[in-house]
Amino acid sequence: MAAILEVDNLAKKYGDFQAVKGVSFSVEEGEVFGLLGPNGAGKTTTISMLTGVLEPTSGTARIGGYDIRKQANETKKLNGLVPQDLALYPTLSARANVSFFGSIYGLRGRELKQRVEDVLRVVALTDRADGVVEKFSGGMKRRVNIAAGLVHQPRLLFLDEPTVGVDPQSRNQIFESVQRLNRERGMSIIYTSHYMEEVELLCSRVAIIDDGCIIAMDTIKHLIEMLGGGVIYIGLPRVDDQLLREMAALPAVQEATLVPRPAAPPLAPGQEPQREVQPAAGETVKIVAEHSQKAIVNVIHYLNERNVDLTSLEILEPNLESVFLHLTGKKLRE
Amino acid sequence: MNALRIALKDIRVFLEDRGSSIQLFLLPLVFIIVYSGALSAVGRAGQQDTRIKLAVVDLDGGRLAQTLIAGLDAAGGVKVEPYQEAQAMPLLKEGKLPRLLTIPAGFTTGIAEGKQQTVSLVNHPDADQEKTEAVRLVVEGVTRDMSLQSQILTSLEQMAAMQATAPDEYSQPFTAERMEAQARAQFESSKSRPLVTLLQRVPGREEEREQDPDMSQVAVPGFAVLFIFLTAQTTARSIYEEKKTGSFRRLLAAPLHKAALLAGKVLPNFLIALVQMAVILAFGVFGLRALGMSPVPLGKDPLALLVSVLLVALCSSALGIVIAALARTENQIGGLSAVVLWGAGLVGGSLIPVFILDRVLGPLPRIVPHYWANLLLDNVMVRGLGMADVAPQLGALLAFTGLFFAVGLWRFDFD
Repeated sequence: MAAILEVDNLAKKYGDFQAVKGVSFSVEEGEVFGLLGPNGAGKTTTISMLTGVLEPTSGTARIGGYDIRKQANETKKLNGLVPQDLALYPTLSARANVSFFGSIYGLRGRELKQRVEDVLRVVALTDRADGVVEKFSGGMKRRVNIAAGLVHQPRLLFLDEPTVGVDPQSRNQIFESVQRLNRERGMSIIYTSHYMEEVELLCSRVAIIDDGCIIAMDTIKHLIEMLGGGVIYIGLPRVDDQLLREMAALPAVQEATLVPRPAAPPLAPGQEPQREVQPAAGETVKIVAEHSQKAIVNVIHYLNERNVDLTSLEILEPNLESVFLHLTGKKLRE
Repeated sequence: MNALRIALKDIRVFLEDRGSSIQLFLLPLVFIIVYSGALSAVGRAGQQDTRIKLAVVDLDGGRLAQTLIAGLDAAGGVKVEPYQEAQAMPLLKEGKLPRLLTIPAGFTTGIAEGKQQTVSLVNHPDADQEKTEAVRLVVEGVTRDMSLQSQILTSLEQMAAMQATAPDEYSQPFTAERMEAQARAQFESSKSRPLVTLLQRVPGREEEREQDPDMSQVAVPGFAVLFIFLTAQTTARSIYEEKKTGSFRRLLAAPLHKAALLAGKVLPNFLIALVQMAVILAFGVFGLRALGMSPVPLGKDPLALLVSVLLVALCSSALGIVIAALARTENQIGGLSAVVLWGAGLVGGSLIPVFILDRVLGPLPRIVPHYWANLLLDNVMVRGLGMADVAPQLGALLAFTGLFFAVGLWRFDFD
């Protein structure tokens, strides 16, 4: 399948601060591609450059074969942007908002009217089309926001954190809209989020972005396989090279490495890990397991034989969250 | 076309905001009514006793002394209060009379005989210098006119007498040309050797006073300028709101030129300013009349008025971009607008008439566009000047507009 988007070493610098450090990736026609990363990772800046809102400092990209720097007007016609903010005019109705943005893309008369009705139907707002946006709930506003980005039928839709501040019901409606657009209309979508559940649900491929760099990019299945059967963090009073080598050689253990920062105390059942894994004192060993349950039994048995006390223990199930933690040592929602 | 669509959307958003509509359309009318009504009332009350009192001792008591006193009283600015010399001198010494004009004995006879006469103006050391100067100017003007009138009349009377007693063969000794030449000679003589000696007169002051407009004539153009420039903050706020909500990003992502985007943001301000001006002028003509106040004139040159209004609106729109470019937060827009728009309005003659500011602040008001806009509208509407006459003000406003557009575009942050 042909690529709708090819990004080549795109970078953005503000003075001394490098917001995006030369990212490269491509998105296939009809693909839902996720950009996953914490706040401030460079997702919105990357999207802003691709949509023509910001001028790249270096590098370029091609959308539908057009260069974003040399043929900006052409690429803009192919793009649709749903910004993270509610980019709407609150005192106007949903229909007036969507209609205005349609007219900016050159839609006129009957065609404009039909497209407006169509996208309002896609986001399930037909019955509230004439309501003033400022009186809508957060979820309804988000849906109008999406409709305004769809009205001109873009080939490539950028959805920048479209579920921020949305109730679960509206979030599900947004997911359904995104899936329908992709499935029924073949629309290519770039979906940014710091919610791994959303990316796992919607995207076929993901680029994990942190500190302006893409640190991993693959299908979700392959990214999770990177962690094997899961990741275990073990807090110990002291760690030496021999201990690490012997732990790495245990059955069901794929890899054992020293975490340069202190890890958190063990979590209570059902409790989510807080910030970094931080024990009260000592060292932390990260174990990538082929099978987490077998690995933990073997590791504890090994430590008991050597009279080494555990100061903390944390088991992370293999998912994008643990992939991100594995790759960066940080949580996605920091 | 995209600029027009953005403009129409902005006008729609503006019309939904009733607070802004009231501020831009209703508020100026309220200001005009209050300003015209209240200050006219103050003006009328003040007219009863605003003239400077001038004690006059008439030691002559003759016809020409009375003519001088009547002339002083009628000149405006001075109210003559007759005193006896014995009564006036002690009061002057005590400071109860700030100044005293004395007409010498033999004043009438002397002038009739063509002899130079001197009136004396004595001031108390503590007398208000400005009032003394005003009195001096009035006395000077009246005595000068009187000298000229007296000398020409005397001359003509002499010529008439000579003609009456002339033999028949000299029945037409004084032709019209000769009489005119005689009058001119007397006029020159009066200038170089006045019959009543006085201090030198400062020219132009009386003419300026004659042209000072009344309060409604000050209020309507003044508040029109003030409120049209206030629409500049509407542009700035609109751009700020778009940036805050993110719709500005969405517009930047659309296939439209940045110039069209800015033009679309500026155009509503320009159109609103024009409508605002039309409302204010219509109210100035019809509304004030209906309320029993003096209507404002619209001048004699409709083209000059139209061009003036368009240019003031354009200048305001350009100023809006400057504010939008310089202010990063809502508070900054508010602060900058208050300083730039209300401050400049105050200094530029929107609240205090330009002719007063000129006297008080000297050339300072010229640094703000409001001054030129006020002067322009005053000249076109109140003084009835045409395009050619107001070219300097049009040029100054055009220069401000160009400067604002240049600075605004230079500093505008599209990111």
